[in-house]
Amino acid sequence: MTKSHKSKLLILLILAAIALNVTGCGLKPQQNTVAGSDEQKDFPLIIRLEGGDWGFPSPFAHYSRGPGMAKMRLIYDSLLEKGEKGLIPWLAKSWSISPDGREYTFVLNSQVKWHDGEILSAEDVKFSFEYFLKHPPVSNSLLIDGKPFIEKIDIIDENQVKITVSEPNSTILDRLGIVRIIPKHIWETIDDPKKVTDLDKLVGCGPYILTDYSQEQGAYRFQAFKDYWGPKPLVDIIEFVPVSDPVLAFEKGEIDLIKVPEDLMTRYLGNEEYKLLKSPAFWGYKLMFNMEKKPELADIAVRKAIAHAINVNELIEKVARGAAVPASPGYLPIDHIWHNPDVTKYEFDLEKAKALLNNRTLDLVLLIADDQKEARIAELLKINFAKVGINLKAQAVDMKTRDSMVKEQNYELALIGHGGWGQDADILRENYGVIVAKDSSPSSNVIPGYSNPKINELCIKQLTELDEESRKAMIMELQKIISDEIPLLPLYNTVEYAVFRPQKYDGWVHVFDHHEVTHNKLSYLER
Amino acid sequence: MSMVYRKILKLLMTFFVIITLNFCLPRLMPGDPFYFLSSEQGEITISYSDEEIQRQRAYYGLDKPIMVQYGGYLKSMAKGDLGYSIYFNNDVWTIIKNRIPWSISLVFLSMIIGGFFGIILGCLSAWQRNGLLDKILYSTMVFVSEIPPFLIGILFLFYLAAHWGLFPLSGGMTPFADYASWTDRIFDIAYHGILPVITLGVVQMGDFFLISRSSMIAVMNKDYMTTARAKGITTGRILLRHALTNAALPIITRIFNGLGQAVGGTVLVENVFNYPGLGLLMRQAVLVRDYPLIQGIFLTITLFVLIMNFMADIVYKKFDPRIV
Repeated sequence: MTKSHKSKLLILLILAAIALNVTGCGLKPQQNTVAGSDEQKDFPLIIRLEGGDWGFPSPFAHYSRGPGMAKMRLIYDSLLEKGEKGLIPWLAKSWSISPDGREYTFVLNSQVKWHDGEILSAEDVKFSFEYFLKHPPVSNSLLIDGKPFIEKIDIIDENQVKITVSEPNSTILDRLGIVRIIPKHIWETIDDPKKVTDLDKLVGCGPYILTDYSQEQGAYRFQAFKDYWGPKPLVDIIEFVPVSDPVLAFEKGEIDLIKVPEDLMTRYLGNEEYKLLKSPAFWGYKLMFNMEKKPELADIAVRKAIAHAINVNELIEKVARGAAVPASPGYLPIDHIWHNPDVTKYEFDLEKAKALLNNRTLDLVLLIADDQKEARIAELLKINFAKVGINLKAQAVDMKTRDSMVKEQNYELALIGHGGWGQDADILRENYGVIVAKDSSPSSNVIPGYSNPKINELCIKQLTELDEESRKAMIMELQKIISDEIPLLPLYNTVEYAVFRPQKYDGWVHVFDHHEVTHNKLSYLER
Repeated sequence: MSMVYRKILKLLMTFFVIITLNFCLPRLMPGDPFYFLSSEQGEITISYSDEEIQRQRAYYGLDKPIMVQYGGYLKSMAKGDLGYSIYFNNDVWTIIKNRIPWSISLVFLSMIIGGFFGIILGCLSAWQRNGLLDKILYSTMVFVSEIPPFLIGILFLFYLAAHWGLFPLSGGMTPFADYASWTDRIFDIAYHGILPVITLGVVQMGDFFLISRSSMIAVMNKDYMTTARAKGITTGRILLRHALTNAALPIITRIFNGLGQAVGGTVLVENVFNYPGLGLLMRQAVLVRDYPLIQGIFLTITLFVLIMNFMADIVYKKFDPRIV
């Protein structure tokens, strides 16, 4: 049984229990066990969250998924951090960029301690960047289109490091800023860091120390680092524990925060004991067009007809159960800091779609993963497409197979769901534009059979534009052109609701580019 | 003894064919262990450029020609090295070894419980054939054996764990527990294991009941049973000593089949209780195309099935001297 089947069954049972509650014999939400702030001073504040194995949280060994990365980042700090509105100073208290955009100088906070008591030095920062170039971490931001861009790293004095890059690029500050700083005295003698799995090697300078990890149980225990240089940790202990069903575990008080399933929202809404936090919509579905395999799709009228034949609100209501927002045809979702609200929109209009198709009929195969939600989307698309003369056939394969088929361009239409829609606006280039070759000229197109010189040009220009306002203007323009052209069609972006008991802990926060409150360290620190 | 040697030789040949298939099958699946385009809802995956994928393939030796990989695989196997997991970033044997005890104890205990009650009730039912007790037991057991284990598990989880709070909701043991003694540890593990064991046990009980009942009914009609009754032997002795011994072969087959499937057969129950067995691990290994881990788990399953079949053959011979 898949997790979604299981969850559905549990939701049904819980709904049944709610009905029983009316008669006073059902499942009762646990009363708060942790009292107000006075008591919190005497007892350590322990926050328990849904666990699961996401790997040993070293920069080299965690699994290539968000929860693995988030746990690693509790232990290791970086020069900059993602804040609520943008990048914020972290290990580096300030930074400057040379006018030619090739030199980045970071001024470090002094007296930053590693978990083993040693002092962090500029040498550690230089070592970290050099070590990652040799031994890439799981999440590697030091490559642009697969190629390294750092030319050299100089230590100016004990608190200043200068990084010289091969060419100016607007994404570099972000890329350098999020690199984890690792201690030289631990890693300098290690040649195969992937195979390091000893807890005593997990020395960082971040706010938490990992005290327990069990791979088979999927359990982690993090303890606040008492000599942490930065904002005071408000949560003393974070425990990730195995959970059979998050809702039951939350109701029993075994975990302190869950993402509440759409159908159970009303249970917590308007109840003072709970607080709901809506996430930004940074996970979504998009429809890919393969114009090489299906040349009809190269006709913009056909793509527009398809856009008009999709009832996004129906998809949101029936598939996402209301927990989503329509995606922007310009790609950057409504919650993205650089979202352009004035892009061209395609309302659901079958007559318009028919007119655009001009009596043509089309046979299309839609590649989807063998997932209930995707099958439902395909079914709903099929019904409306049929009304305008598009005969849609869904082909369901497992997720990995679908990914490979898309990579090999072996599809006509493909439905893809993924996260990361809140990241730097360079995702526009990655999705629509081109892979930039060393000489900054386009080397390959991302969308098979589609190339638009204007989009390509703007994609490359924004990458080298260092003035933020000018770059933002380009991104706005780019979104507008993309929405006119719709070389791929974003469908909807999901929103999630985190529910928790504010009396126990109320520090949860979203950072500007991510939809998970538990995945950023700001949520556990004093602000 | 020559029978044992022949059997061992046959097993070794089977084993060789299987490890070859084991090497080929994961690689025949479409999909790349390093390429992530999509993700489960709400999840973020880290995607890699072609250059990074090439580098990772080289790290795991997957860039070499397939025959070279096969040679390396056989060589490592001969040394007892199952390889290094791509996704889980750990030694394959370490990952498997940490989970085997959970899976085996789950299946073993559920089989003892399910087998004990199933066989006893099956004997009773056969003895009272067409009586009221038989009718009630038969229809109940048919019903029970047809309920999928996850459904029984969810009902137990919901009522016994969540509603009445008698058992823990999930996991194999209390996380981060600091046990005062090994008895505390055993108690905690047993406490966490009760619901998964009972869930599997209920399903096993249905199976054992049906097999032992039909097998006993066949034996009951034999002439020597009439003789036994005529000799005035007590009902219990007739049932257990004369009937059950002769009806044992199908039950033994069921026991060893069940034990053979210990490694992968518990996935649904593991899923419901988030129990740390091998079933869920296998599912995940396939989903992420972790070739070395898939190979390692399949190999473990194969070994288990082969060993259990081998033992079943030996036990058969003890029960029925006619089998050579």
